[in-house]
Amino acid sequence: MTRFKSTSLLNKIESAPPDRILGLTDIFNKDANPKKVNLTVGIYKDNFGKVATFPSVKRAQDLVNKNYQSFQSLTYLPINGNQDYSKNVLDFIWNDSCQGLAHNYLLNDKINFVQTLSGTGAVALAAKFLSKFISKTIWVPNYSWSNHLNIFKENGFQYIKPYNYYDDSNGTISVDEWLSNLKLNRSQTDITSPQCILLHACCHNPTGIDPTKEQWKTIINTIYELNMVPIIDMAYQGLESGNLIDDAYLLRTCLSKGDWPNGLYLCQSFAKNMGLYGERVGSLSIVTPLNSNSNTNLNIDSQLKPIIRSFYSSPPGYGSHVANQVLLNKDLKLQWFNDVQNMVNRLKIIRLNLFNNLKWHDLIDFERQHGMFYFTRFTLKQVHHLRNKYAIYLTDDGRLSLSGINDSNIDYVSEALYEVAKL
Amino acid sequence: MSQITIFNDVPQLPPDALFDIKKRLSQDTRPLKVDLGIGAYRDNSGKPWVLPSVQSAEEKLKKDPNYNHEYLPITGLPTFTSGAARIIFGEDYDQERTISIQSISGTGALHIAAKFIEKFLPNKTVYLSNPTWPNHKAIFEGQNLKTAEYPYWDAATKSLQLNEFIQTIETAPEGSIFLLHACAHNPTGLDPNKEQWSQILDTISKKNHIVLFDSAYQGFATGDLDRDAFAVRLGLAKLQNVAPVVVCQSFAKNVGMYGERVGCFHLVIPNQSSEINKKVKTALNSQLAKIVRSEVSNPPAYGSKIVATILNDPELTKQWHTDMITMSSRISEMRHKLRDHLVELGTPGNWDHIVNQCGMFSFTALTPEMVQRLEQYHAIYMVSSGRASIAGLNEGNVLHVAKAIDEVVRHFATNNPKL
Ligand SMILES: Cc1ncc(COP(=O)(O)O)c(C=O)c1O
Ligand SMILES: Cc1ncc(COP(=O)(O)O)c(C=O)c1O
Repeated sequence: MTRFKSTSLLNKIESAPPDRILGLTDIFNKDANPKKVNLTVGIYKDNFGKVATFPSVKRAQDLVNKNYQSFQSLTYLPINGNQDYSKNVLDFIWNDSCQGLAHNYLLNDKINFVQTLSGTGAVALAAKFLSKFISKTIWVPNYSWSNHLNIFKENGFQYIKPYNYYDDSNGTISVDEWLSNLKLNRSQTDITSPQCILLHACCHNPTGIDPTKEQWKTIINTIYELNMVPIIDMAYQGLESGNLIDDAYLLRTCLSKGDWPNGLYLCQSFAKNMGLYGERVGSLSIVTPLNSNSNTNLNIDSQLKPIIRSFYSSPPGYGSHVANQVLLNKDLKLQWFNDVQNMVNRLKIIRLNLFNNLKWHDLIDFERQHGMFYFTRFTLKQVHHLRNKYAIYLTDDGRLSLSGINDSNIDYVSEALYEVAKL
Repeated sequence: MSQITIFNDVPQLPPDALFDIKKRLSQDTRPLKVDLGIGAYRDNSGKPWVLPSVQSAEEKLKKDPNYNHEYLPITGLPTFTSGAARIIFGEDYDQERTISIQSISGTGALHIAAKFIEKFLPNKTVYLSNPTWPNHKAIFEGQNLKTAEYPYWDAATKSLQLNEFIQTIETAPEGSIFLLHACAHNPTGLDPNKEQWSQILDTISKKNHIVLFDSAYQGFATGDLDRDAFAVRLGLAKLQNVAPVVVCQSFAKNVGMYGERVGCFHLVIPNQSSEINKKVKTALNSQLAKIVRSEVSNPPAYGSKIVATILNDPELTKQWHTDMITMSSRISEMRHKLRDHLVELGTPGNWDHIVNQCGMFSFTALTPEMVQRLEQYHAIYMVSSGRASIAGLNEGNVLHVAKAIDEVVRHFATNNPKL
């Protein structure tokens, strides 16, 4: 006899909608159409439709495998992560990528660094920390990675406000509106209380459109004056220009501005630019002002650790060992830079080939269209039509992941896009 | 605009005890230092041990032409999660009622449980054993849940406070949450016997409480993975028509891949009609996926692929069972050596509890002062509660440790006649 009573609460739980991106892959996998094409997830695939490991990463992996025991993968990493990895990532991001601009912060130990569960883990940890100590308000672009809202809601932010980023009517960025919007709002709120703002470092997801470097300067100046706290989400470093260093321009712009009184937050991921997606390798850096108290960074560190300890104790080792080998070894690092360039070259060729078939000019607007995504601006109806009639899967917002296109399906995909665009 | 940074008000918190021990230990330059702190298996030369089953699984995995680093599904690698369920619940577990989600090892599973309770079972108190793994409190309170204690360990008799434990189950508000250590209780090394488990679970069932099993040491209590799942399986049987059962499973210790963070969160829903079971399972699965997505997106691949390889290959599974015996019998041997040395040295007190306790730990009953003296004068590190990780002992250091314990016990016995 069932006496199931204490937990009748469970029966009342409603189904949460499936994740808007990864949920689609489940549906895709069940689709019986032999011509099906998955253009949803931001994973780089080669021209054979395979998720191939980069040559540099493969070599790093072989090194790790060979010396597995000495890499101490068998023991717990410290709460804030692999120390070798930390040293080398810190160096790559804040030395190499910032071209000297972060020198004083490094020298004075003004950067808190944590190995995180890829970019997501970094954003989640930053959210927990910021919402606890700095502000419960965060501004997010009006199109953004669909998981951002979920992360911020679940990790302490009370007020999540959209800012005008993308103009649907003409497919461009509306920087003026974005900034006047912020200014208006800040004139009505207490400017001495900081508010957070999420910025995509490059290759904006999902639109693929970034502000120009000149526009970024204006944006950063304004944000600074409005006492806002930048959270830079850098998930695609290298995928814009093919050059890892060049792509850190937003970081450099922020550093050139000077000290950020409530910190500059960088959420960084090696998922895409090293192809280490599933190994969950990334980092969170918090840059505090040069004149902050000498124990500020110790205090921050002491607050981050209990959050991590209660979430998952310590991060996974393997991916960090592989990434560390890539960064540590001059040869491998050089090869990695080439691997990223090759990936971006292929993405550009896909854009060109699509353009040749479709004559859609924004496909090859290389000045502003970046990264692995092309934003079709299809309506939901068009997206569904593409899915139902052609078994070609985009995310519901009309985002198309370019790397799923290859020689064997480009004509089919072009034809379908062409037909659906007419609807 | 003010340039005064709000950071100045961020207070500094004390460091985590175990990770702090590790740090002090690494800075200690004395030649014979002994780590009895963190619960991690060491072989007889004091080194982390790669299980032969893990080594074979790695080789197999790396030869797989399809091996890559693609994202896992949000809820984890299916061959891993189903294998994990079989290991803890048995081959014929009820899939229709079981939701299994890959987690960042045991801690991550407990954290998912905490988030889930916070969202869907609000205002329930989580009862923890006294004493327990310190992170339990942090994990649940970190999600704004209330925690309370149930009596467990009687320091005077070094035995289970069964009556007081039962009393707390009876007086707790109906539908409370009880966290139970599935086996090899941390830190006491003391588990209820079969009759006691039965009584505990019957009382829990009577009060419609929800059980959360923390299974971090399956295989370390008896050396046998199935026997160590006794309490969990009994709990499922007794509660199947009463309440859901949560199991937070870690493969850190029993596969020896501490740093790869392989674990699984299981939720077994109580049996209703097949139709309702399906509906509830689907809904819960989606809510749990949303939680995972908000913190890590999807779990780390490498470790779970290794464990999945072991669990889905009968030869490797068999090897793993053997590896488990290798580890648990070495620990058991060290328990006996330590006890025997202490007896030979005539160290004041009775030391039989060291061999009666099971799992990785011994709750030595050494006081915080003694523990401190062990570190200061003998370079022996353990947590201040007096919990010693027996896996840190080996032929090369067990006598040294026994002599050191003898010294500190005598030191405080002479300075404190009451002891
Ligand atoms: C904008 C953005 N941020 C962060 C991430 C996080 O990815 P991961 O957690 O895999 O590093 C993604 C991934 O798709 C993204 O598009
Ligand atoms: C009782 C108990 N539960 C859970 C854990 C979780 O460990 P991990 O997150 O490494 O799997 C531990 C580890 O020490 C433990 O002792």
